[in-house]
Amino acid sequence: MRRVWALGLTAAGMLGAQSGPKNPFANDPTAAEAGRPVFRLFCSPCHGIRAGGGRGPDLTRGVYSVGESDASLFEVIANGATGTEMPEYMSRLGDENIWRMVSYIRSVARPDTTPITGDRGSGEKLFWGKGNCGQCHVVGTRGGRMGPELTRIGRTRSAAYLRESLVDVNADLTPGFFAVTVVTRDGKKLSGVQRAYDNFSAQFMDVNEKFYSFQKSEVASMKREFRSLMPDAYRQLFNDAEINDLVAYMAGLRGEDKR
Amino acid sequence: MRLRTILLLAALPALPAAENDPTTWLTYGKNSRGWRYSEIRQINTANVAQLAPAWSFQTGVFGKFETTPLVFDRMMFVTGPENHAYALDLATGRQMWHYFKPMPRETSVCCGRVNRGFAVLGQKLFKVNLESRLVALDAKTGNVIWETEIDDIKKGYSATVAPLVAKNLVIIGIAGAEFGVRGFVDAYDADTGKRVWRFWTVAGPGDPGSNTWGGDSWKRGGGSTWITGTYDPELNLTYWGTGNPGPDMNGDVRPGDNLYTCAVVALDVDTGQRKWHYQMTPHDVHDWDAIADPVLLDLVIKGEKVKAVVQANRNGFFYALDRATGKLLVAKAYTKVSWADGIGLDGRPILISGQDPTEDGNKSCPGIGGGHNWQATAFSPQTGLYYFTSTEGCQLYYKTDQEFREGQWYQGSTTGPIPTEPTTGAIFGLHPATGETRWKFEMVTPPTSGLLATAGGLVFGGDREGYFFALDARTGKPLWKFQTGGMVIAPPISYMLDGRQYVAVAAGQTMMTFALPKQP
Repeated sequence: MRRVWALGLTAAGMLGAQSGPKNPFANDPTAAEAGRPVFRLFCSPCHGIRAGGGRGPDLTRGVYSVGESDASLFEVIANGATGTEMPEYMSRLGDENIWRMVSYIRSVARPDTTPITGDRGSGEKLFWGKGNCGQCHVVGTRGGRMGPELTRIGRTRSAAYLRESLVDVNADLTPGFFAVTVVTRDGKKLSGVQRAYDNFSAQFMDVNEKFYSFQKSEVASMKREFRSLMPDAYRQLFNDAEINDLVAYMAGLRGEDKR
Repeated sequence: MRLRTILLLAALPALPAAENDPTTWLTYGKNSRGWRYSEIRQINTANVAQLAPAWSFQTGVFGKFETTPLVFDRMMFVTGPENHAYALDLATGRQMWHYFKPMPRETSVCCGRVNRGFAVLGQKLFKVNLESRLVALDAKTGNVIWETEIDDIKKGYSATVAPLVAKNLVIIGIAGAEFGVRGFVDAYDADTGKRVWRFWTVAGPGDPGSNTWGGDSWKRGGGSTWITGTYDPELNLTYWGTGNPGPDMNGDVRPGDNLYTCAVVALDVDTGQRKWHYQMTPHDVHDWDAIADPVLLDLVIKGEKVKAVVQANRNGFFYALDRATGKLLVAKAYTKVSWADGIGLDGRPILISGQDPTEDGNKSCPGIGGGHNWQATAFSPQTGLYYFTSTEGCQLYYKTDQEFREGQWYQGSTTGPIPTEPTTGAIFGLHPATGETRWKFEMVTPPTSGLLATAGGLVFGGDREGYFFALDARTGKPLWKFQTGGMVIAPPISYMLDGRQYVAVAAGQTMMTFALPKQP
């Protein structure tokens, strides 16, 4: 009971702090429909054509890491979200289109149908133990450097996306984390994760976190594959409950370790 | 007698004679035929490996740097993003003057606050500003001589094109097909800035072709003209490519062929009257603008000499047309095409069903940017090959119902990548009389820069990752490269100063020039 009260206070405090400009289209039933084509054009590449998330968070859950008010949604669309891939749209869309998009995002919000059922604590143990995920992923100050950093991953990816990344490692590759393989003229095969790749050269890091740079003209072959270097083994390694636990752990990673 | 000669010279059109001077670069496409071919052979296949930077000029202006610089009178004239422009000393790269006009906030631009270059007549430079205005600047000072409104920015019009000078006219195109504008080509008097004619690229009531637009859809029919046309003084025609109909991906609201969008039009230079048109993509729903350089080549096709205009179209086909009549001579796919099984004898594409955008996304090839998009192309009379870039791959096309609001985005939806099939790039060396590919330089990502061909047997280009490079014009083999540190979006040019050949290109926010090391 006491806990609910505390949450209530926090929510009221947040609303108070976020009282900003009001959506001029809040009572306009056509605004959401007008915002839809704008959303599909500008937002769908990351948030999904139906706003269900992808590289960017799921916007249909009705809860947003930037805050729940229209003003907070406007703010993040207008000015972007520091520390994430979300850019600013004010220069391209202007106030009115952004407010229409806020109306659209509100219109697609529905009760969360994919509750996170796993146990965070168990997930944390699996992450650093049985899964050995920390060999390639940094959380806070701990972990390896081959894969994307996961310190704030719960803020930037939906739970469904995290689950998919675990069981289908090539479902959506994080840009830049592609596999590069070079065969030198003396027949040595080297591979690692892309740092840069172009028409004339390749730079990559291998599993021992050693950097390489090669000119295409000086090696026997050079290729980049749009596949993940993450082992496609977790569906077999973990049972359903363990996967739920891992998703719960990752969904709970909000960046506290570095703040 | 002598005075009379001078007067006669002054009365002659300035460009056609001067544009043949290989030491200068006086118009967007090097010549009014759009070849982008330098006759200087000092830098060639044998020595290009030694090419090195001469000077660079940093604008400090963020945004895509798409300019084709002009070079004359020992100066380089460069337009930048955000309505900036510069005159640079050709020997050192030092700034001689700077022009800047802030863009009004309400200006709508679809694809970057860019500009593609100046045109020149005598000592007057002409450029468009983003807010749909045309300005004439004094080449010696950068001072404004006159300024003219092209059309109302509130309607969604904007301007990015490099103007084309023909006779005493400054001919320009317009942008804004993503904002529901009605496109046009305009000609202005070079002395006064007064409009002489306008050709609407969207047929309105009473115009031939008006029955190709259902209802009043012509009012927002798109058909923008954002890449510079070409000019044939003998036929007295100017050739312009036209952009997509609006809204881009939802054709339901504009039933019909939508003339004259996604077409090449030949216009009388004096009147702007349409002599002919050829529509590459009738009723386009994939945003396949036909704005790519319409290049004028004299070809031998099946044993017959023909004056042609060629275009590597965004829809995946290469076309050669008779430039006097518009008759189709050659149409051949140069990249993967899923929407048409060739072009029929009647000149219309043989459509393959199930290729239109849908609510949930439908795969079609090429992707929204082509194929070949707007990036400048080049032709070498030495190899007889036509060079252009292409994005290789397919995309998902989405359709959305959308209500029109003046000045607002009006695209009728979007596209997305096919996750398992990332797009790549290529530069083609193609035989223009047959459409056969002679060579293909494969690139890891979609191309960004324009091209230059030279008598040194070279094709210069750049890439997304910052490389500026030279290919062997006969084989496509890379011979030289330089990492500029910024994306190369602009086309390179070449000129000569004090007996030395230079190649120049904009990369990132920097104008760069290159030359061979001075002999000791």
